[in-house]
Amino acid sequence: MIRISPTYPLAAVIAVCALLPLVVLGILAEAPDGLLQARNLRLLGNTLLLAGLTACGSIAIGVPFALLTAYVSLPLQRLWLVLLAAPLALPSYIGAFAFFAAFGPSGEFAVTLGVTIPSVEGMAGAALVMTLYTYPFVMLTTRAALLSLDASQVHAARILGLSLSASLWQVVLPRALRGIGAGALLAALYALSDFGTPAIMGVDTFTRMIYVEYNAFSLGRAAVLSLQLLVIVGLVLFLESQLSSTSERPGRALALYPTSAQTLSAAAVALPIILLALALPIGIFTLWLWREGSAGFELSYVWNSAYAALLAGGFAAILAIPMALAAMAGPAGRFMERLTYFGFGVPGIVMGTALVYVGLQLPSLYQTLMLLVAAYVMRFLPLAVGSLRATAEGIDESLVKAARVLGATPREAFMRVTLPLTRRGLIAGAALVFLESMRELPATLLLAPTGFETLATYLWRVYEAGYFGRAAVPGLLLVLISAFGLMLILSGEQQGDTAHREEECN
Amino acid sequence: MRRRAFIQGMAAAGGLAFLPSLRAATSVDELPPLEGDLTLYLGRGEGGLYENVLKAIETRNPKLKLGVRRGPTAALANAIVAEGKAGVQRADVFWAVDSGAVGLISDAGIARPLPSDVAAQLQLAFRYDNWTPVTGRIRTLPYHTGRLSAEQIPEDIMAFPDSGLTLGWSPAYASFQSFITAMRLLEGDAATKDWLQRVKRSGKSYAGELGVVMAVERGEVDVGFANHYYTLRLKAGKPDANVALAYTRNDAGCLVNASAAVAVSDKPLATNFIRYLLTEQVQSYLAREAYEIPLVEGVAPPGALPRMSAINPPEIDLTALADLRPTLDLMRDADVL
Repeated sequence: MIRISPTYPLAAVIAVCALLPLVVLGILAEAPDGLLQARNLRLLGNTLLLAGLTACGSIAIGVPFALLTAYVSLPLQRLWLVLLAAPLALPSYIGAFAFFAAFGPSGEFAVTLGVTIPSVEGMAGAALVMTLYTYPFVMLTTRAALLSLDASQVHAARILGLSLSASLWQVVLPRALRGIGAGALLAALYALSDFGTPAIMGVDTFTRMIYVEYNAFSLGRAAVLSLQLLVIVGLVLFLESQLSSTSERPGRALALYPTSAQTLSAAAVALPIILLALALPIGIFTLWLWREGSAGFELSYVWNSAYAALLAGGFAAILAIPMALAAMAGPAGRFMERLTYFGFGVPGIVMGTALVYVGLQLPSLYQTLMLLVAAYVMRFLPLAVGSLRATAEGIDESLVKAARVLGATPREAFMRVTLPLTRRGLIAGAALVFLESMRELPATLLLAPTGFETLATYLWRVYEAGYFGRAAVPGLLLVLISAFGLMLILSGEQQGDTAHREEECN
Repeated sequence: MRRRAFIQGMAAAGGLAFLPSLRAATSVDELPPLEGDLTLYLGRGEGGLYENVLKAIETRNPKLKLGVRRGPTAALANAIVAEGKAGVQRADVFWAVDSGAVGLISDAGIARPLPSDVAAQLQLAFRYDNWTPVTGRIRTLPYHTGRLSAEQIPEDIMAFPDSGLTLGWSPAYASFQSFITAMRLLEGDAATKDWLQRVKRSGKSYAGELGVVMAVERGEVDVGFANHYYTLRLKAGKPDANVALAYTRNDAGCLVNASAAVAVSDKPLATNFIRYLLTEQVQSYLAREAYEIPLVEGVAPPGALPRMSAINPPEIDLTALADLRPTLDLMRDADVL
């Protein structure tokens, strides 16, 4: 007899909902008026170029930093890791805004210091900003791969006369290729789906053109562009799933002890990156705050952001429970979980376009908070599911079995044993969804109820109106929120590390 | 023709602004208080000044519950039309920075007729049945004074792509799109598309027309395409700014356009709200602070208005600017959006 997990029906419903945007776009799409128009080819070229440059740039920065944080024994090691990973937590549109305002002939540097630095804009500017905020993907995935490598092969190479750099190049990096590739693909995926950065930098990519078409309310054309973008996203996700994991016998990772001169030169390399990615936006927003105060800003923006994000976090947590359980119950459940990952790959602007159309068909949902929250949940549910699964898989099966032996029904065992033990993962997952939702821009622009201004939409409004100074408070608050997100992610990683170490001790 | 009469009338009024006007504009004191829920779609573009008007109206009418949806004018106009088609009505009033967008709604049959006393407040050339202009604006060519003199600016808008000047523009801005609509109507689609494609080659794009004027001022481009008030506002804050206004003659380059309001629901509140926009207080505030041209009779135009007698706007009726969709299609085809 085939036992069907009781969580399957619910999980199936959620998985079908996750596919809803695709269905809607399929209905909405007008017959493409020349799929290969010169214009479309140019969009495709720009989008792929931006994704490619971002991937290359993040490898160039991310891999050396991964080597540094994984193998080199530095003073204040934890601080290095936190600072170098921090740009990941910042939404790149914040960075793009700051770069746009800081450089160029009328930028803040020219105005306040009298030093004119060439503008950061166009494809080069977008690629630079994107790289600065996505290299931590490569750094973190590569670092994880590096830490899992046994150092004895490097020692062998060194003894046989290979220099350190050559042995890193020939012996270490080839074994970390999968980690590097995974990180680069994540960076590319981010570049594909980001809306704010290309829009601010003035690069015509798919996301920007979808916004243009949406503004002309040509939903049909926006849908065609969205589907084309989703094909590329799907391709990247497919490539990522093809990266086979290589497993090696675990061993002690390489440890290098630098001289203080070497430490200083490492710091000299890292410093400009940190300055550009973190200090620049914070500095610009602080300058504006000092110069113009908080004029125009209302506390309700914070409250609106938090309220919508709180609802999203709550719903995501609730929906994550059946999904995570289904994923652990069998292959069919795992397949359903895979389907929800689709939502994570759908760019916010695409999700927004699809749901505006849904709203027009179901007027009771149009311009409601519920529709906005639904967009957040569909996009970020995989974060909650992943976090919950990670904790739930760590639970000792025998505890549940013991409860069952003692007479608890499966339901009672779940409520009294499994759920309390996974609470931590559930809360962490909900918090991740909360933070991502607070920073989300494009779907919020399209779906927010009338009069419902959030931090992100207010920031966008002052950008479009040219009142940059008013971006100070929302900008700094978004940075602060991102800092919380980073703490959450890193504390999760630290727990993983400690758990790993405890295991090793045992 | 009507428009030119208006401009010349304005010039005369500008000269005599200190004399008491024959017909006084309505004061807010004469209007009924606003009460209840009202959803306003606000085609942003004017930054904080329209917001200040809304705040003042809200402060004056504590029982008014105003919900504001902000977005680019063209986007909101298209949204209202799509909502109308789907049978979902959300907006009560739409205040657009451009009459073309409001005309789009009027053409779709969604605009509600306004009582005749509303139109009667406006100057003769600006009276319409189911929408109302609020303030006027002129398309201008801000140029960098350090690098160019007025004589070096072509008087024909179609001559700009070949002028050798570097150009700044903001194609996504509704007023710019109406200017292109006017060009389409006057010069034809083919010539307009060609113009767009050629300007794109020597042009630099900005998020808004304030950005265009600022770029001209710092010398990033030689000449820009922008509404008149951006330059006046910039110069008000920075009197020695390196920018001045030039005008073309009898073509889309000096189109006179208007911000406009339209009632989309039958609520009397919607009409009364529009009446507030036409009061002496709001009109003179927008003239004084935003350098917009008041269109209600008996309100003085801004002191810093450009030389009106020198302006030769094209003969295009504001309602004709509603033909926005072909313009968007054309701009899309020309790859400038």
